[in-house]
Amino acid sequence: MVTSRTSLEKPVTAEELARLLHEAAEAGQAVFPVGGGRAAQMGDPPARDGVAMSTSGIDRVLEHSQADMVVSVEAGITLEALQEQLGKSGQFLPLDPFNSPGHTIGGLLATGWTGPLRLRYGSPRDFLIGIRVALPDGRLASAGGRVVKNVSGYDLMKLHYGALGTLGVIVAASFKVFPKALHDDTVESTYESMDQAWAAAEVALAMPMAPAAVELFSSGRVLARFLGSPEATKRTVADLGWTEADGAAWVAHSKAAPKLWARIAAPRHALRPILDKLGADQEWWASPGTGIANWAIAGGAEDVRAIRAVATAGGGSLVLMAGPDEFRHDAGAWGTPPATLHLMRRLRYAFDPSQVINPGRFVV
Amino acid sequence: MALDRAVIEELRHAVGREYVIDSRNDLRIFERDASIEGAVPDAVVLPATTAEVSSVIRVAARHRVPLVMRGAGTGLSGGAVTIRGGIALQVTRMRKILEIDPVAQTALVEPGVVNQELSLAAASHRLFYAPDPSSQKACTIGGNAAENSGGPHCLYYGVTTNHVLGMEVVLADGSVHWVSGDAPDRIGLDLCGVLVGSEGTLCAITKVKVRLLRTPPSIATLLAAFPTIETASQAVSAVIGHGIVPSALEMMDQVTVGAVEAHYHAGYPTDAGAVLLVEVDGIPESTSELMAAVRNVLAENQGYAMREAQSPTERDLLWAGRKGAIGALGRIKPNYYLHDGVVPRSRLPQILSAVGEIGVHYKLPVANVFHAGDGNLHPNILFDLRERDVLPQVESAGEEMLRAVVELGGALSGEHGIGLEKSAFMPWVFSADDLDAMRRVKGALDGQGIMNPGKIFPDPERKSLHLAGRTGLAVEAKWW
Repeated sequence: MVTSRTSLEKPVTAEELARLLHEAAEAGQAVFPVGGGRAAQMGDPPARDGVAMSTSGIDRVLEHSQADMVVSVEAGITLEALQEQLGKSGQFLPLDPFNSPGHTIGGLLATGWTGPLRLRYGSPRDFLIGIRVALPDGRLASAGGRVVKNVSGYDLMKLHYGALGTLGVIVAASFKVFPKALHDDTVESTYESMDQAWAAAEVALAMPMAPAAVELFSSGRVLARFLGSPEATKRTVADLGWTEADGAAWVAHSKAAPKLWARIAAPRHALRPILDKLGADQEWWASPGTGIANWAIAGGAEDVRAIRAVATAGGGSLVLMAGPDEFRHDAGAWGTPPATLHLMRRLRYAFDPSQVINPGRFVV
Repeated sequence: MALDRAVIEELRHAVGREYVIDSRNDLRIFERDASIEGAVPDAVVLPATTAEVSSVIRVAARHRVPLVMRGAGTGLSGGAVTIRGGIALQVTRMRKILEIDPVAQTALVEPGVVNQELSLAAASHRLFYAPDPSSQKACTIGGNAAENSGGPHCLYYGVTTNHVLGMEVVLADGSVHWVSGDAPDRIGLDLCGVLVGSEGTLCAITKVKVRLLRTPPSIATLLAAFPTIETASQAVSAVIGHGIVPSALEMMDQVTVGAVEAHYHAGYPTDAGAVLLVEVDGIPESTSELMAAVRNVLAENQGYAMREAQSPTERDLLWAGRKGAIGALGRIKPNYYLHDGVVPRSRLPQILSAVGEIGVHYKLPVANVFHAGDGNLHPNILFDLRERDVLPQVESAGEEMLRAVVELGGALSGEHGIGLEKSAFMPWVFSADDLDAMRRVKGALDGQGIMNPGKIFPDPERKSLHLAGRTGLAVEAKWW
């Protein structure tokens, strides 16, 4: 957890949050935004004490236009509450993060957590069309809009996505949403050897009708999901020849949340060599089509550093998603910063010059 | 304001004597892009390498001279116009496809590579590059990345930013950086994401790594006629409302269809109030199922004379009509002007009727040909530049149309960029605090303000500059 809180604020409007943020900044206090608390252990332990700023009181659906397939929400709404609203119109946000349920939209945008459906739909980076943030000087600033295609002004959505709130606390967001697929089929297959399992995942990925998700587990199990028109989906599933599985498998999978947990991301064909270094006793699951894996670490900080070195050499990264403060401190949450860190710092300074939001927690 | 001779000499030293243009006559070639306003640069440089780009920018930074990147000059918002003078940095000597990796499904290209050349080069691996602006035979990948360009197939596949994996960029101080790359979920801030679409105001793009997609095994293309533009608009909403997202969903009104048919003889129904061009792709089972569903929905919404392309040649012909529509409009009037505002899809009937009324008010013919599935308008105002005093009328009509877009909850531009022409309108959609946030990004990366000044952000002096210095040259045949 973010352990260094001294108090908790729970504003009920974006304006109130901006005011509280400004007051904290003026008083030299740090602010730690909290959504559903599902990613509370992401990042390095905070550099100083401060105020926990809950967004859970700012949780309205601002506008859902079914015909336009666009939704605008406040940041504190949970993913489940949003999906329920969208589901009434046969629509959904294609986001299925791990450690569900309970993520807030603001938290998901700030952390950049995603799940298996990223293979087909991309991440929120691809369907976030507007954003509103509170800045430490008390201003509220928006970018983007509520239309699905927009090049008006800088794409600040991209800057805030995954920035862990360091350029401003996200208070509202607009998304392009998607129609639920006409047909949704899940199949699985389990293999004796990992060679077979990796090969099977590649077969699924190479199907003429691309899968929406393919997850490979260290147990040798492969789970695949096909979304599309009924005949096409049936034909594809038949051609693949795996066992039909219950779609509920995806809900179960989304609850995965190791106590000591790292995300490994690499160019997709570089992922396997990294995971091969983990050793047969380690548990992990991977999305071979996107190059992302999640590792339930059974080991110490030195093991994390060793695997991180392999991931980095393969052009990838290893980020700690959960673990005690001491562990994150020892292993480092992020690893070697990118060569462009000085540019990122200039941007951070432009928005949060005294490092009020999440000090010490993000790499920047 | 001509550049100091010393600056010219430094530029010559940076790229070689023959690659610096500074004679008044030659510079006039670089006065325009495909938008309506022009300004002659003080010098044009044609670097061949990233190192040369860096050297040129260092010269610009040292002397505080504006620097404007330029690809094929097909941009529609004045992004490549040197409105404050200075150096136009032309990237057309940097046009190598450096690598196509069929396994990773990526390509690494120099900024001057033409959009369509990349897809043609990838075709042998059964791959393609998805963003397909109608100017794709001419426009460059560097320009596409700078403007975050779209195209008909962006409805399903997304715009340029969804396909750029990483870039090599040169910042305003001449420093060279790689931003992002092949791996997902990279550490730190997404610099690449904010640089794509920054319209040359934050960096020069010297290499682009893009994602390539597998060519779909089956493509079905359908042309359908509608009695009115309103019924066609309702059909668009109905298709999407049925949970079908076609790969492209384009509309052309009667004016456009008439011109296209006279030019291409593609078999477009000239009696129709509007036509839709719908495309779905996938495996054969899915295209036949989806197309059957699309036909049903269109028929329920008064669609008629539906014609599905029976061969790749017929498909190309249908698309030639769509992509060549602007050229064909030249049969009506020699010049055109258009904005590309976006409205929420359900507002299409309202905005199209507003656009029609504005055209009538200004006595200017308007031809609509646009990305209906995205709600991304292209109302082409047709005029003849040789008619005296027509331009202010054209611009006023365009401005009113854009105002109507904003009033319906829309955006100023879906794919052409803000550039010069729409910077004055930014306060219509963004508050002072919103614009201040964007200026912080500009200030952090280009403190001296040398990168493409006068673009995106409203310029208080701009209204008085409006159309000053116009040369009276005819606007050439253009792409959009």
